[in-house]
Amino acid sequence: MDMNATSRGAEGQPGSPHQKRENKQGQRMQNSGREGREEVMAKKTWTDVIQEMKNFLWDPENRTCLGRTAKSWGLILLFYFILYLCLAGLFAFCIYIMVLTLNPYTPTYRDRVAPPGVMIRPYVRGFTIAFNVSESSSWLPYVDSMHHFLAAYNDTVQVEKNIECIAGQYFIQEGDESKQKRACQFKRSLLQNCSGIEDPTFGYSRGQPCILLKMNRIIGYQAGAGTPVSVDCRVQKGNESDLRSVDFYPQSRTFDLMYYPYYGKHIHVNYTSPLVAMHFTDVKKNDFVPIQCKLNGKGIVNDVHNDRFLGRIIFTFNIGM
Amino acid sequence: EKIDEGDERYKDLKGNKGKPKKKDELKKELELLLKYTDMNHGPIGLSSARAAEILARDGPNALTPPKATPEIIKFLKQMVGGFSILLWVGALFSWVSFGIQLAQGIDSAFDNLYLGVVLALVVILTGIFAYYQEAKSTNIMASFSKMIPQQALVIRDAEKKEISAEQLVVGDIVEIKGGDRIPADIRLIFAQGCKVDNSSLTGESEPQSRSCDFTHENPLETKNIAFYSTTCLEGTATGIVINTGDRTVIGRIASLASGVGNEKTPIAIEIQHFVYMVAGVAISIGILFFIISVSMRYKILDSIIFLIGIIVANVPEGLLATVTVSLSLTAKRMAKKNCLVKNLEAVETLGSTSIICSDKTGTLTQNRMTVAHLWFDNQIFQADTSENQTTQTFDQSSQTWAALSKIVTLCNRAEFRPGQENVPIMKRIVGGDASETALLKFSEVILGDVMDVRSRNKKVAEIPFNSTNKYQLSIHETEDPNDKRFLLVMKGAPERILERCSTIMINGKEEPLDSEKAEAFQTAYMELGGLGERVLGFCHLYLPEDEFPDTYPFDTDSMNFPTSNLCFVGLLSMIDPPRSTVPDAVCKCRSAGIKVIMVTGDHPITAKAIAKSVGIISATSETVEDIAKRLNVPVEHVNRRDATAAVVNGMELKDMTLEQLDEILNNHSEIVFARTSPQQKLIIVEGCQRQNAVVAVTGDGVNDSPALKKADIGIAMGIAGSDAAKNAADMVLLDDNFASIVTGVEEGRLIFDNLKKTIAYTLTKNIAELCPFLIYIIASIPLPIGTITILFIDLGTDIIPSVALAYEKAESDIMNRKPRNKKKDRLVNQQLAVYSYLQIGIIQSIGAFLTYFTVYAEQGFLPNTLLGVRVNWENNYINDFEDSYGQEWTKYQRTYLQWSGYTAFFVSITIEQVADLIIRKTRRNSIFQQGLFRNKVIWVGIFSQIAIALILCYGLGSVTALNFTPLRVQYWFVAVPYAILIWVYDEFRKLLIRRYPGSWWDKNMYY
Repeated sequence: MDMNATSRGAEGQPGSPHQKRENKQGQRMQNSGREGREEVMAKKTWTDVIQEMKNFLWDPENRTCLGRTAKSWGLILLFYFILYLCLAGLFAFCIYIMVLTLNPYTPTYRDRVAPPGVMIRPYVRGFTIAFNVSESSSWLPYVDSMHHFLAAYNDTVQVEKNIECIAGQYFIQEGDESKQKRACQFKRSLLQNCSGIEDPTFGYSRGQPCILLKMNRIIGYQAGAGTPVSVDCRVQKGNESDLRSVDFYPQSRTFDLMYYPYYGKHIHVNYTSPLVAMHFTDVKKNDFVPIQCKLNGKGIVNDVHNDRFLGRIIFTFNIGM
Repeated sequence: EKIDEGDERYKDLKGNKGKPKKKDELKKELELLLKYTDMNHGPIGLSSARAAEILARDGPNALTPPKATPEIIKFLKQMVGGFSILLWVGALFSWVSFGIQLAQGIDSAFDNLYLGVVLALVVILTGIFAYYQEAKSTNIMASFSKMIPQQALVIRDAEKKEISAEQLVVGDIVEIKGGDRIPADIRLIFAQGCKVDNSSLTGESEPQSRSCDFTHENPLETKNIAFYSTTCLEGTATGIVINTGDRTVIGRIASLASGVGNEKTPIAIEIQHFVYMVAGVAISIGILFFIISVSMRYKILDSIIFLIGIIVANVPEGLLATVTVSLSLTAKRMAKKNCLVKNLEAVETLGSTSIICSDKTGTLTQNRMTVAHLWFDNQIFQADTSENQTTQTFDQSSQTWAALSKIVTLCNRAEFRPGQENVPIMKRIVGGDASETALLKFSEVILGDVMDVRSRNKKVAEIPFNSTNKYQLSIHETEDPNDKRFLLVMKGAPERILERCSTIMINGKEEPLDSEKAEAFQTAYMELGGLGERVLGFCHLYLPEDEFPDTYPFDTDSMNFPTSNLCFVGLLSMIDPPRSTVPDAVCKCRSAGIKVIMVTGDHPITAKAIAKSVGIISATSETVEDIAKRLNVPVEHVNRRDATAAVVNGMELKDMTLEQLDEILNNHSEIVFARTSPQQKLIIVEGCQRQNAVVAVTGDGVNDSPALKKADIGIAMGIAGSDAAKNAADMVLLDDNFASIVTGVEEGRLIFDNLKKTIAYTLTKNIAELCPFLIYIIASIPLPIGTITILFIDLGTDIIPSVALAYEKAESDIMNRKPRNKKKDRLVNQQLAVYSYLQIGIIQSIGAFLTYFTVYAEQGFLPNTLLGVRVNWENNYINDFEDSYGQEWTKYQRTYLQWSGYTAFFVSITIEQVADLIIRKTRRNSIFQQGLFRNKVIWVGIFSQIAIALILCYGLGSVTALNFTPLRVQYWFVAVPYAILIWVYDEFRKLLIRRYPGSWWDKNMYY
């Protein structure tokens, strides 16, 4: 920014050497003939630019750096230090006030996060689930991801932390906003063949992978508006026969109402999202099979063009035998 | 080294040009003439066929217009000028990263393609705009310079024909009469009382007679050649065309003028300085953050995309277009005040002008002789010389005045052209020379109908003025039917008139002319002459009735009447008086620190007198000669430094070295150059430029064109100016009035101040656009504002407000300060950049960030959650991104939120730019001193700004490509406290600047 060497700030020092040089130059210009003038000017620009730059960086005569003396630098830096300190304080104060106005348990607006999106597990970089049955290293990451994810759903953990709720109705907990809320049990064993309890490889070792589907959490969202949200999967674009059979656990294919509403992570600490496991027992092998799973229910949107994860999810199998 | 010989380039003009040509070519001409002249029937001229042949060979008889840059080059220049290169680089980077991302199969690759296209479009559109603006201002000039095609009366095929002057060829025989413009260089073969005005060529305004006689070796001096574009004042002539088009003398001068290079205008230098500065900031921050982001282990590709963002944020895309618009607005305003600007940038040049070299005749003066003083009854009377006089107020009761007025009225051949009864006297067209016209108008003003007086006093004999007699005489019957005497009236050079007188009229009585009275006459004559006025003496004699009865045959050849022992009546002196607005204008120039130098072809005494009367030489200052006279010492003994004024004769100038000229220009503040040739004007201009001055030069003649070109701003006269002068000039004064230059200067200074404000306004928000990128890179928050959104600020909301600043009135009397120092007073100085970037810009950024954080927090992302989330936030596969409350977001939901963030940031910048716009109205004064509502256009700007933001936000919120979303109403107000803070802070800054001038604060905070 400091490109202007002849600024008012530097004006205070009279007779700076580069001014003197200019005067000399001027005299020389006058003495030399008119023809020689352009030549002199050309020379001046070349050598002078370097000299001027040097002088600008450090002028030994006036002891200025970048056109300012040490004192001048000190003052200006002090000024900016104070100014920025004030501004930073002001900003911090404003942010603090702004945060104070927020409800710590419920965001002011939830219009952008609803309706819910959908995610699957396993999640290993992307939505292409490609593995070779015979190579355990190719599917182990998926199995690990599943185990990791389901650790929170272990029956012991669930029984210890969460309560059993009445299925088929919303678990609405009234009362003080700040009061800790109870969460309903979602035991891993509910997922049966996809629980990883009997088959710790979730079917991956047999080429019949399990996929867990979960609906994004939204505070206060009563999914399905009275009727549980259900899931269905089919081949997205392509031969329907590529996907011959899918088993769903729980068999109802639904997210039970008792898991809603969600009260937020601060007061609904042990909340675990309900899941629907899909056991793809017969998928065409050695080929890419794109599959789309959709939520269905009141208030669920699953056909937005821009958002391909809103109420639906697309993933691709490529299972090698 | 003598100036005279100094410049080979102009030698050509000084006379030795045509010498070799003379013998050969004249011989050829003679042959031509004989060939086409039938000795019995006069000239038969060329045959049409032959003329067509020659026309095909030589081309039309017109000056080739100066070589214009091809339109495509002009257009391409706009495409690469200014910030365009930087934006092209940005576009290129976008496309490169598009290519790479496409190869990697990343979904969002097309964003970069679009961004590149948008950047390219921005460059092309602003380029087209700038080109259009330039073309428009050039067109104004083109339409102006188009003149009615000139006609010429030519003899071809032994027939007189009226043809377009362009069709003339060498060898054509043309006829010319008074009032015509000479259609080509012609050698006269017949002339009767022919006089030409060569002023456009030589600068001498005296009419010159033309005849068939070869009188001088030098074609410029000889009487038998008339030159293209000069005017025939009176008489008739026939001539043979010897040169056409560019080969004419004028054509050669015109081509010489186009050889003088055009200097870069001061504002162009300033804008270049500004562009370099901003580009320097953009490139250094870009590279710095490229390095930072690479060392923070961002991918190279990402770093390149950041770089594009930084460039786009730093470059004020719309600013150069805004500057162009502001300049053209000022140009329009100046055109209304009779300054037609050809080159937009010249608008400001006029404002930084430190020396004006002005012509005298026509520019400072009214360009017509007017009676200024009278002397009778041993007393000098002053006459009114203003432009629109209707009466004269000096004492007219004396009998002598009655006699004098009668002589003035009768001894005059000039007549008003008929049909002008309703035209004010001073504006009527008169047939006759300048002095007679002056006298005619003078007497018409005082006595009423002059023609009636003349018809009542019938003229019986007359001797017109000639240069040997130096008098004019006529004899009239008197209007009194009882008085049978004849009245002889005579006027002429005062000393000649006095010689013929033996008596003098005092208070209506004839008294003998003794030595005392002769002395009084001498004093008066010297005094009036010393005023630079042209003095005429008047005398009369009543011829005795017995010697000269009714029927007396007056014979002017044998002079059978007395021409001596007449009665002297009085003196009248005339001058081309200054325009009444000029003294005031010169005074303004003086207080504005502009040196006015008069450069004229006139006599030094006249020049000095006019210079004194208009204030170019102030009442108290003296020249070296004046001091010498006062102290009664030789001129050489006077210390030259004591004299503030100088009158330099062209002859002296000729013998001066460059150093001597520099010394004069340096040491004297009031300078008049008299008897200068137009070529010397160029030398004077160059001398002024050596003093580091920005020089404005006025001129009208063709010969002025090199000086006009050389000057920083050439000003041609719209009425008296020749086409060549108008072509060479940067500006045309439509009313030829010096005072118009001063209003031009005022406008030029104002626009410089206002451009400063515009630039300060525009630069400020660049920081608010840049900070998001820097914080995004360093703190890895979701991107606060997108590149496209930035373009919408730069080229959308900000355009009209920044133009509106061009309408701002001056803060203080801008005509009371010195012209800006080209080297020190930059358009964009350190203070301006630092204050805009590091203070207001930072406050703006903070305000915008507050809105940004508010929008995210109210949707569930608290500020602390946002830090460091960039990688996951932008990951397309993570569709259950958790916010501060445990809710989960899909990628698109996040992106949409990000756009809301963009919109919020955009809206905040817009709101804060309103405050920025208001504070930029003044640089020193309080807004309340300046008036918040005086400049209505500012409010148009503010409303447009908000309207555009509303349209973008709510109207186009659904168009995903634009990245705007309908924003909740309350977010519009989050930044309002910061807008108020900006205003308050700036008022505080201005207050301290006003309170403590020269203090540390003033030095560092005033831009």
